Amino acid sequence: MNAKVDHFDPIVFERPGVTLTRSQVDAFGREIDALREEIMADLGEQDARYIRRLVRTQKGMELAGRGLLFLGVLPPAWLAGTALLSVSKILENMEIGHNVMHAQWDWLGDPALDSSTYDWDNTCPAEQWKHSHNYMHHTFTNVVGKDRDVGYGIMRMSEEQRWNPAYLFQPAYNWVLASLFQWGVAFHDLEVERVLKGEKSFAEYRAQRRKIMKKVRKQVGKDYLLFPLLAGPFAPWVLAGNATANLTRNLWSYLIIFCGHFTEHAEMFSEAEIENETRGQWYLRQLLGSSNLEGGPLFHIMSGNLSHQIEHHLFPDMPSNRYKQVAPKVREIAERYGLHYNSGRLSRQFGTVLKRINRLALPSRRKPKNATV
Amino acid sequence: MNVITASNSQSGTPGLIRRLGKALSTPFDPEDYLALFDPLQSAREIRARVIGVQRESDQAVTLTLQPNRLWKGHRAGQHVLLGVEIEGVRHQRCFSLSSAPGGAPTISVKRQGRGGVSDHLVNRCREGDLLTLAEPAGEFVLPDPVPERLLMVTAGSGITPVHSIVKSLLASNFDGKVTWVHFERRYRDLMLSDSLAQLRRDPRLDLRLVLSGDSPRDGDQAGRLDEHWLTDNIADAAAHTVFTCGPAGFLDTVMDWHGEHGRAPLFHERFKAAPVVAGEGGRLHFSRTGGLAEAAAGVSLLEAAEQAGLKPKHGCRMGICHTCKCKVSKGRVRDLQSGESRELNGQEVRICVHAAEGDVELDL
Repeated sequence: MNAKVDHFDPIVFERPGVTLTRSQVDAFGREIDALREEIMADLGEQDARYIRRLVRTQKGMELAGRGLLFLGVLPPAWLAGTALLSVSKILENMEIGHNVMHAQWDWLGDPALDSSTYDWDNTCPAEQWKHSHNYMHHTFTNVVGKDRDVGYGIMRMSEEQRWNPAYLFQPAYNWVLASLFQWGVAFHDLEVERVLKGEKSFAEYRAQRRKIMKKVRKQVGKDYLLFPLLAGPFAPWVLAGNATANLTRNLWSYLIIFCGHFTEHAEMFSEAEIENETRGQWYLRQLLGSSNLEGGPLFHIMSGNLSHQIEHHLFPDMPSNRYKQVAPKVREIAERYGLHYNSGRLSRQFGTVLKRINRLALPSRRKPKNATV
Repeated sequence: MNVITASNSQSGTPGLIRRLGKALSTPFDPEDYLALFDPLQSAREIRARVIGVQRESDQAVTLTLQPNRLWKGHRAGQHVLLGVEIEGVRHQRCFSLSSAPGGAPTISVKRQGRGGVSDHLVNRCREGDLLTLAEPAGEFVLPDPVPERLLMVTAGSGITPVHSIVKSLLASNFDGKVTWVHFERRYRDLMLSDSLAQLRRDPRLDLRLVLSGDSPRDGDQAGRLDEHWLTDNIADAAAHTVFTCGPAGFLDTVMDWHGEHGRAPLFHERFKAAPVVAGEGGRLHFSRTGGLAEAAAGVSLLEAAEQAGLKPKHGCRMGICHTCKCKVSKGRVRDLQSGESRELNGQEVRICVHAAEGDVELDL
């Protein structure tokens, strides 16, 4: 879109291939707002039935999985038990826990599905997750220096991050992070690098670490001590099953989450760009900074509907079962404004993530471009 | 001593088993898994199954409830915040318990015709339905020791807490006298009539029904309450300890009468909805810190609290992160984004995108 310089309607958003004026950005924002209103006003019994049924299914699978693992000396029972437990952990963390803690289900008024009280089956305490994720990541999405999900403080995911030799090893330690993803998530909000730089007090760090360790003890106690002990002589099979389920959940959630903001066309932003940002500009940043994954209904549920990362970032507190319904409308609006709607199959999207990790392991040849004006 | 708490004694599962269950189900509770088999199970809220639905009239029902083990009983006259799912969403409203403490609690509900919780319970509630209850609350209870001479003055739904009080009183070794005047429009509006007929046989109770819209039957009276009624109809009314419950105008009449003539204490229970003060802002009560503040129209609760010197936790200030969610004990708020106005009773809202409409009590 081309716009002449107009003092009454200045250009407020400029990115490669797209230029939008104040009134265009505002109109875009209003269209997205209207979409949100439409869905939120329509929430009701069917949505309630969806999440309640999902919780029952997940809890049932978990009980069945843990039960079968007690018979884990029989290989089919071990395989089935481990698979059920893995799927139940993925569902609980992604389609239930992550979304409940985003307050997607607060409107039900059910304390079992309320963002202020829910805690998930993960080593990261809910309270800290809500700070680092709901607030920091969702408000400052892809703003280098503010959104700590850009590399989690250990990886270089944007040209704007300064290179150092440690990043040479990121193609390798990327896989370590993937395997230990829940631990990465748990210790992420400690912001160790900010403590070292003196930006965050050691006392605050210690208080946070104490809370994390309290939860870690309970989580580890459950999966690696109590359930194996309860199985008596079959302890090794239970232990192996639980460890495998946690690993599977770690790898899967890593895979989905890294495809959310680090694909080829996912854009990064600078702190200068978000000064005095309007709601419309915030929506634009969410759209251009996120990328979707294509697949069937089961794939969407297993990804916690983060396969609709764009819609999730535009509407973080909209029940996830509705993303599928708004996605085509978001895409239509985006295309009308000449904005790239980043969507592709998992294999393709993840391929571009790996490419980014490899490319940014090396120092950038050109100077970091200072995006827009 | 007539304050009777339910004999719901159960020492629970042994502590060790409970702790093991908790450790095995962390970060959830064992009940979250047991609820797959028995939906009454919960570690965090009192759930109750409806085990009896008695039609009082086409306008009212009495529901008998079987609560889970978290229910610790109530004191006669107290009310409870009851939650019911309507189209998937939990709605809450306060009801007085109509039963005497001890057995299965009951609530008696009259249809309001506004499509809310009361209407749902009257029209749709069936045996086997699940409800939630908060801890019983309220100070509309008999003092200790119980006064010798009691005068109950009720109208309409105001019958429910007083029914609980009188029933438990007569079940005790109380040896005084209770006079109970109940005002109703027509016989068919009267709730709990079966139970009243039984209570009436007790010589310690003098129960009088006063009807304004039906011709009275044996022993009942015609009329309506005014500022002279109690003085004219009850011998030495002013010397009685008064318990009164009913609609706002009715309560005002009783309280005005008592203010002028009463020589013994008065206890009252008011059922009221938060008034709408559209777009006018309101007054904030901070229940935790004890402060008060005025909030102008369109000013978010968060900004108003900050102007009052508080520092509520918050994040994005644009309604997306839900960090600022705070409980509103009671009051009406307007959503600054959608413009929608809602009455709240103990629910949480994002204070960065909600403004007060009238008096709002916040957990800050």
